[in-house]
Amino acid sequence: MELGLWQVWEGGWVSAILRGAAITIALGVASMAFGIVIGVACGLIKWARLFPLTLVVDFYTSIVRGVPELLIIYLLFFSSVEFVAQIAAAFGYEGLAGNGYAFTIAVVAIAAISGAYSTEVVRGALAAIPGGHIEAARALGIPGRRIFRRIIAPQMLRIAVPGMNNVWQTTIKDTALVSVVGLQELMRAAFVGAGSTRHPFIFYLIAAVVYLAITLVSQGGFDWIERLLRPRTRK
Amino acid sequence: MDFELVRLAVPTLAKGLWLTAVLTVASIAIGFNLGLALAVMRLSKNRALSGFAKGYSTVFRGTPLLVQLFLFYYGLGQLSFVRDNPVLWWIVGDGAHCAVMALALNTAAYTSEILRGGLMSIPGGLVEAAQACGMSRLLCFRRITFPLAIRQALPAYGNELVLVVKGTSLASTITVLEITGHAKRLMSQTYAILEIFAIAGVLYLLINLVLITLVRLLEARLTRYLPR
Amino acid sequence: MKLKSLLLATFFAAGLTAAQAAEGELSIGTEGEYPPWSMADSAGNVTGFDADVGNLLCAKLEMKCHFVVQAFDGLIPALKAKRFDIIISGMSITAERKKQINFSVGYAELANMFVVKKGSDLAGIKDIETLLKSLDGRTVGVQAGTTHAHFVEKRASSTDLKTYDTLDQMQIDLASGRVEAAFADASALQDFLARPDGKDFQFVDVKVLSTFDPTLGEGIGVGISQENTELKARIDKALCELVADGSIGKASQTWFKTDISRPCQ
Repeated sequence: MELGLWQVWEGGWVSAILRGAAITIALGVASMAFGIVIGVACGLIKWARLFPLTLVVDFYTSIVRGVPELLIIYLLFFSSVEFVAQIAAAFGYEGLAGNGYAFTIAVVAIAAISGAYSTEVVRGALAAIPGGHIEAARALGIPGRRIFRRIIAPQMLRIAVPGMNNVWQTTIKDTALVSVVGLQELMRAAFVGAGSTRHPFIFYLIAAVVYLAITLVSQGGFDWIERLLRPRTRK
Repeated sequence: MDFELVRLAVPTLAKGLWLTAVLTVASIAIGFNLGLALAVMRLSKNRALSGFAKGYSTVFRGTPLLVQLFLFYYGLGQLSFVRDNPVLWWIVGDGAHCAVMALALNTAAYTSEILRGGLMSIPGGLVEAAQACGMSRLLCFRRITFPLAIRQALPAYGNELVLVVKGTSLASTITVLEITGHAKRLMSQTYAILEIFAIAGVLYLLINLVLITLVRLLEARLTRYLPR
Repeated sequence: MKLKSLLLATFFAAGLTAAQAAEGELSIGTEGEYPPWSMADSAGNVTGFDADVGNLLCAKLEMKCHFVVQAFDGLIPALKAKRFDIIISGMSITAERKKQINFSVGYAELANMFVVKKGSDLAGIKDIETLLKSLDGRTVGVQAGTTHAHFVEKRASSTDLKTYDTLDQMQIDLASGRVEAAFADASALQDFLARPDGKDFQFVDVKVLSTFDPTLGEGIGVGISQENTELKARIDKALCELVADGSIGKASQTWFKTDISRPCQ
């Protein structure tokens, strides 16, 4: 029984791992959602070259893309980031204790990382829209807000999907790093199980399989979205 | 900022800088060659070879590096046949060696995808022309295919190198004292979290800056035939 | 603009007071992976000596206990970030930590020891100075951020020190031979020796006490944030009563088979 499959079943670790996987997915989705908001805002700033703001955005993306994710997560978790506590309180995390707080900081950390990569994807997608489209819309006298809604946004969305797929895959994998500071997600469940049963091989193998399942299923989802958004041409 | 603290932290973190650099170079050297082999296998007509390369790339790109690292370090370390084999134990038994293995296997998967893109971009006519000139397949690969593919793939590969540098920070979770490992130890001694992690972050930015500059120089050299 | 920031401030302030108003509840930060002190199961329930002390304390203070599990080296930063009210995690009172947070009176004290493989040349050493010298150039495992880590860093600086986030990881590496010796408190190591993977290991017969080196602290105390002086006074009083009436001694017998409680001075 060197591998310890029986201990995995007996110790109730299967449900712990599934619960962890649910937290991993929730964390990934929440971080990705906030990351996209950051990405669209910063991407638009870079694309439109809003001068003083571009400096801020450049600073943010180069820090996040050049410094290890692990370091960013340690920094956010270990420093006394009272503002995060305040934001959490304002959003109604009353106890501020337990997983609620860890989850909030984890979302802040992963969204900050994810957002930096989304920024580049959004900026690239905006830059890929032919300038003629926007000029033509202006020439027709379409108001700016509507140009954005009808011309820029739909094209940007379509061009950005493959890039966003990459960002999502990175984001879901980055959530594993949060385990080192104690959020009970998938990796942490495997980590605790490995330590307490002394069967690390089987626990990390199971974790790897679950992550692989998550990434493969979401890859399929993105392929479907990509097909859905492909421009329909008349035959 | 506290100058006493900076005086304490900078030399310690600089010690870690050396190990981070060693981990990076070793992982890249192994990972690049493995990645090249995988890319060639992926494009081969042999279904078994290309299937293996595809599966490898899917598994290593579909799971977090941290899981791979723990699976190798703690998981393989648990198995008695690994412990009893001196060669395997040389790799798995030491945190730094194990980190290099995990990083190399991981970056090989990404490298293979990047190089595959480069190899596929080469017009078939070039290879046919080389064969018509009587070049052997190996010579053709060395003189024609590979140099063109690497030129094509270099910008994307530069990004991957930065990811490897960032990946070395995970070695700190298996007791390796590189920059992040030292930073964490200093943090638990002094609790000066912001200052220490800021210095560590600057060191990483410096490494990446050097690396990106080198890649840009290489890129300029490889494309010097282009008009500018 | 001024109005907006004012509104924002009141918004946050309202949220914050709502958060702190959970009166009657005491949230306790603990490691959860340090048997037999603090063990969290897969559902997140905490048992062990720390949990017993926490529950006794809550009963005395007539508050409700709520445990928060957090890696040991993140406990102090998390307390400072107000993630919980107090720390009960077998934490020794040290001068370095006192700069960051307050401590209650010390309520327990335990010897620290080294564990090595049976038959190792270190196994027969009887005095601390020889032991520390013999560790030169060897790999020693400790838990990150503990007094044990700081002690080895200071007194045996030429060892190859490996630090681990959890004691379990350290024990896995000890069993697999990646480290030659491990340093921790006697109870935690006793727990390792009783396990199947600890059967080839033994204590080095040298008890390292905090009287030998102040790095090892002044006994084990409850960590409290520096602003919370009122809570500290109440906890000190409650702990002294719990030690005096033997409740903590009894809990200690359950988990350590010996009384490690430390009388109030």
